[in-house]
Amino acid sequence: MTVSHHPRQPLRIAVTLVLALALVACSGYPNTTIGAHSDVGREIDSLTYLLLILGGIVFVFVEGLLVYILIKFRERPGDTMPAQTHGNTTLEVTWTMVPAVILAIIAVPSVRTIFRTQAKAVPNALQVDVIGHQWWWEFRYPQYKVVTANELYLPVGRTVNFSLRTADVIHSFWIPQMSGKRDVVHQDRPNYMWFTPESSFVWNGACAEYCGASHSNMRFRVFTVPPAQFATWITHQQQGPVFPAPAAASADTSKGAAPAAPAAAAVAAAPADTATGTWPRDKLPTWTVPETPLPTDVTVAASSGDATRGAQLFKTGACIGCHTIQGVSPGIIGPNLTHVGSRTTIAAGLYPNDMRHLMMWIKDARAMKPGSIMPPMGKGLPEAMGTFTDQQIADIAAYISSLK
Amino acid sequence: MATTVAAPPSRAATHRYEKGIWSWLTTTDHKKIGQLYLYTSLTWFLVGGIEALIIRTQLFGPNGRLVSADTYNQLFTMHGTTMIFMAIMPLSAAFFNFLIPLQIGARDVAFPRLNAFSYWIFLCGSLFINASWLIHKAPDAGWFSYAPLSTRTFNPGLNMDFWVIGIQILGVSTLAAGFNFITTIINMRAPGMHFMRMPVFTWAAFVTQFQIILAFPILTVAVVFLLFDRFFGTQFYEPAAGADPLLWQHLFWLFGHPEVYILILPAFGLVSEVLPTFSRKPLFGYPVMVYSLILIAFLGFGVWAHHMFAVGMGPIADSVFSVTTMLIAIPTGVKIFNWLGTMWGGSLRFTTAMLFAIGLVCLFTIGGISGVMHASPPADLQQTDSYFVVAHFHYVLFGGSMMGLFAGVYYYFPKVTGRIMNETLGKWHFWLMFIGMNLTFFPMHFAGLDGMPRRIWSYDANQGWTNDNHVSTIGAYILFVGMLIFVYNMWRSRRSGTRVGNNPWDAPTVEWSTPSPPPPYNYAKIPQITSRYPMWTREGPHSISAAYPVGAPAEAPEPTAEELHIPMPTPTLKPLLASLALTLAFIGLIWHKQVPIIILGLALFAVVLLSWVLTPLEPEH
Repeated sequence: MTVSHHPRQPLRIAVTLVLALALVACSGYPNTTIGAHSDVGREIDSLTYLLLILGGIVFVFVEGLLVYILIKFRERPGDTMPAQTHGNTTLEVTWTMVPAVILAIIAVPSVRTIFRTQAKAVPNALQVDVIGHQWWWEFRYPQYKVVTANELYLPVGRTVNFSLRTADVIHSFWIPQMSGKRDVVHQDRPNYMWFTPESSFVWNGACAEYCGASHSNMRFRVFTVPPAQFATWITHQQQGPVFPAPAAASADTSKGAAPAAPAAAAVAAAPADTATGTWPRDKLPTWTVPETPLPTDVTVAASSGDATRGAQLFKTGACIGCHTIQGVSPGIIGPNLTHVGSRTTIAAGLYPNDMRHLMMWIKDARAMKPGSIMPPMGKGLPEAMGTFTDQQIADIAAYISSLK
Repeated sequence: MATTVAAPPSRAATHRYEKGIWSWLTTTDHKKIGQLYLYTSLTWFLVGGIEALIIRTQLFGPNGRLVSADTYNQLFTMHGTTMIFMAIMPLSAAFFNFLIPLQIGARDVAFPRLNAFSYWIFLCGSLFINASWLIHKAPDAGWFSYAPLSTRTFNPGLNMDFWVIGIQILGVSTLAAGFNFITTIINMRAPGMHFMRMPVFTWAAFVTQFQIILAFPILTVAVVFLLFDRFFGTQFYEPAAGADPLLWQHLFWLFGHPEVYILILPAFGLVSEVLPTFSRKPLFGYPVMVYSLILIAFLGFGVWAHHMFAVGMGPIADSVFSVTTMLIAIPTGVKIFNWLGTMWGGSLRFTTAMLFAIGLVCLFTIGGISGVMHASPPADLQQTDSYFVVAHFHYVLFGGSMMGLFAGVYYYFPKVTGRIMNETLGKWHFWLMFIGMNLTFFPMHFAGLDGMPRRIWSYDANQGWTNDNHVSTIGAYILFVGMLIFVYNMWRSRRSGTRVGNNPWDAPTVEWSTPSPPPPYNYAKIPQITSRYPMWTREGPHSISAAYPVGAPAEAPEPTAEELHIPMPTPTLKPLLASLALTLAFIGLIWHKQVPIIILGLALFAVVLLSWVLTPLEPEH
């Protein structure tokens, strides 16, 4: 590399090297916070690079000095008594001022970034209300009157302004590849956080504030999509449940009831994306497909169900007390299920959304997810709120799966 | 400048003093109390270490199922609570107890019976909170127990009852000791022991006690609110009643941040004792080292909300706390440079104590760097609540506090017991611990920056965290082997280690003029102090080529206190009885609020206290 006379050339070289190293080191790390994909994420990145570089310099200097001292001044036979130095004022001043300067170099951009990223969002931002529950995420789009859960669709290139509240304890809303996290603290006063997604993909989200039994199991998915697809998705979400399913779709429910197979195989080809705007299941990156092992003590002795029977069971069962399906049931304790069939996962990112997992979930949610507020619905289980047989559960699952 | 310490000629202590279990239960001798703290805290350190090993085994690979999520949540809560309140703090207290009177030329602390009470109530509190394991209902809301997760609304079981009560009991111990040591250091220094001649460990301890008496009452208030919410129906933290969840966080971190300086300053003090001795030259920049201790403690009360950068306090608060947090890095960094300056130009001998002290300098630097990274709020919004912060605080607490405390153990073991610890085993311990610690915690920086949240009980293989977790777990097992070697070394050295004289390390401070171990009265004649380094000449230690241990153990026994006409406190069971009575009252509270038992406990406590207060410390003389 020829040495240019540009005064900042060494710094540019250093930054490039670090970036290259970071990118190399971070390949295969799907949730990395380095190399974020939003405007705010990139601001955080530049601060992080600055911190890593300065930290690296301090590390090399101090530890290098230490190693030098340990080698050069170790005792040797014939050593005379060392000079009994008590101190040196010039050194004290120097090694007080130099760290102060380094810290100022960090403080100034930090404070500027704080004010920039915490300024009010632009007026035409997409508003998303996030409500954290133990242990799932509720998402509302007030401008469009859409309510959903655990899967967030965002248009690329438009600032999204999150209003963050909790329904119970403190949680934290974190999409590592997008931006920093923000805690959801209050039930009434929201926290706000915004960013502008810059590329289209699928991202993992997680709760990052310990919130009880299933804190590890409180995950969500973010889909950043082209604005046209977002418009399609919104329009589809605004409509009522897709039931009875159109003729083409009913074939899907039987496909979806395929017997035990790896999650990928059980994913029936999603209904045309042009209809729902949802991300095609077969195009999901592997790290957004959960691999949670199944509990050994839950079995469902049925493999396919009748969605019409299932709809009837749902409407007359305890389900309506907790779940909303537009036009069908008004419950608000659990996630909105109006279009749950087109979500890629269930139980807040814990299991793939397919018949097998859905049936086990409905039968015994607490065994599938520790502490779950949803009680078991299977007949005879301890603390069960339902008395559904395995076939009835399969029917309900078929109904739920059909709600694309 | 030699001092006029009129110590009797070195004689081996043949323990003509009281022996047996009864002497330990009734002791008011700071040296015995220090040993009680030492062995108890090391035991809890092992317990916390086993909790960590289970956590690390569960996290070794993806979707581990060694323990349930519920047990895992109890494990990480108890690991943090145990390590902070029952391992590091009492291990520091072991040194406060043993060293402060000896280092200032005094015979004991200001309030010897209160000192014993501090230990016994600590033992009772630590047993109380760990008793929860017996019914598998250990505290499970994290060591900092955020409300409202820790309220009865969201955590109805006994788990958090154990925590709130246990923490209060432990707080009593620490506060009592704080007042004791402050009084001791201000009032009982030997003639000539000006403040700026005190050993740096005593300075570190002194500053720490002020932090304790200012910070622990805040924790007491926060936990009293939670205790009353859980037991008596108040609503300090009930969101349904309009409470602000941030109240707990502010109160807790107002305590919690000074607490971390309480955890590190004593270790800093020990390093400042060890490095000069094994560099054969004085501490570089003694006044600056003292001022930086004071500045760190003072600034430490102004940074607490850097634990709350993600809660949405607003840009002004974020910026203020960001700047104060960066400011506190300056006096801390200055200490590192002064330690380097101490070793520069010296003649370094790498005993185990020296290795551990150097280990602190090396590893605390890493923890300090990641700490400064946390000080930038926007970047911290990625780092906080991820494994990056787990890496940071383990570097400063393990690589910092524990390394310094182990340096102190190896350095002062000969003074406490009269025997030296085995150096070969010591070096095995050091290297296994140094390597194990780095293997365990360095990969956590990467896991955190790669998006791994903290306090999760399992993770999928496809998240990219598996390799980091593999390495961390292997490192944890290496650490454990190192600890086993240490335990064996301690046990063996106590029984059959080489006996030593007054000053086996040729160290400079006045405690090294006493026999090893010192007689109960410490100094036959209170020393007259004329310099910072009474045991060295102006040219330094007496020799730099002599092998350790320097000097020979004494042959004849020390005179007894009676022979020297030194009045000694009467051994008494009252501190232990008072602790048991107070604990009984708390047991009554947790056991379905059995009012008769609470009243009985409080009544017994009052009776013992009255008897204690009316009994003179020493017999008529």
